[in-house]
Amino acid sequence: MTDPPPDSYGGTRDGTGVGPDRRSTTGPPRWVKVFGIIGLVLVLLVVVLLLAGGGGHGPSRHTSSGDVGDQTPPSVVKASGGLGGHKPPAGGHTP
Amino acid sequence: MTTRPRLRKFVLTAHVVSSVGWIGAVAVFLALGVAGLTSQDAQVVRAVYLAMEPAGWSVLVPLSLASLLTGLVQSLGTKWGLFRHYWILIKLLINVFATIILLLYMQTLGYLAGVAAQTTLSSGDLSGLRSPSPVIHAGLGLLLLLVAATLSVYKPRGMTRYGQRKQREQRSASAVVV
Repeated sequence: MTDPPPDSYGGTRDGTGVGPDRRSTTGPPRWVKVFGIIGLVLVLLVVVLLLAGGGGHGPSRHTSSGDVGDQTPPSVVKASGGLGGHKPPAGGHTP
Repeated sequence: MTTRPRLRKFVLTAHVVSSVGWIGAVAVFLALGVAGLTSQDAQVVRAVYLAMEPAGWSVLVPLSLASLLTGLVQSLGTKWGLFRHYWILIKLLINVFATIILLLYMQTLGYLAGVAAQTTLSSGDLSGLRSPSPVIHAGLGLLLLLVAATLSVYKPRGMTRYGQRKQREQRSASAVVV
């Protein structure tokens, strides 16, 4: 959010620039509908990917795990008593 | 609830700095991701994934949270409000969405850093490290943040039903006073 433009919202003199929206209607403008559709698709995509990945947004889906093997990385071991955010996914790091 | 002009300027500055800084940091992550994906030098690949995790926790996460927090204060502390204008509402959704994905994705960066930290990396491990996911996440994140920045500058018209109702209430209140 940046400083409001002086005139684009009616040019009020209260220092905020927020004034009457002359073109306001009861329904949302077209650009909002377009954004809404794109946002909905994006959220659905994330939900589907989360469900497909066993409910986690972990590394199992992000790495070409077939090459990594079954090894547990050092950071996972360290994080078990630390941040707690580096837990491996439910299925481990196996393919 | 409105804040004093001096405080408003301070919060606005903090919001712009943190938001633009977040964009810059994500752009750097995109560059690192591309380097990790394409470099033929094993040391470069390892360095990239080792650097991403601490940089994520110390730069990306604080900037994203600062951007969200200052944005909330800035909107709620001025007459813009948080739910009155569609562009502000969409910016809020973008910010919350990007922050949640970032926090979740830190698991992956931690895992990649862990694999890269191992001293006995074989060529197979390196190819496993060469993940396109940092590039994808940073690229999409950058796109989202640029959309949010564009909304901030253009401030497209359109008030929510709540905003329209509030506006009518303010008009009638000011008419009573006059």
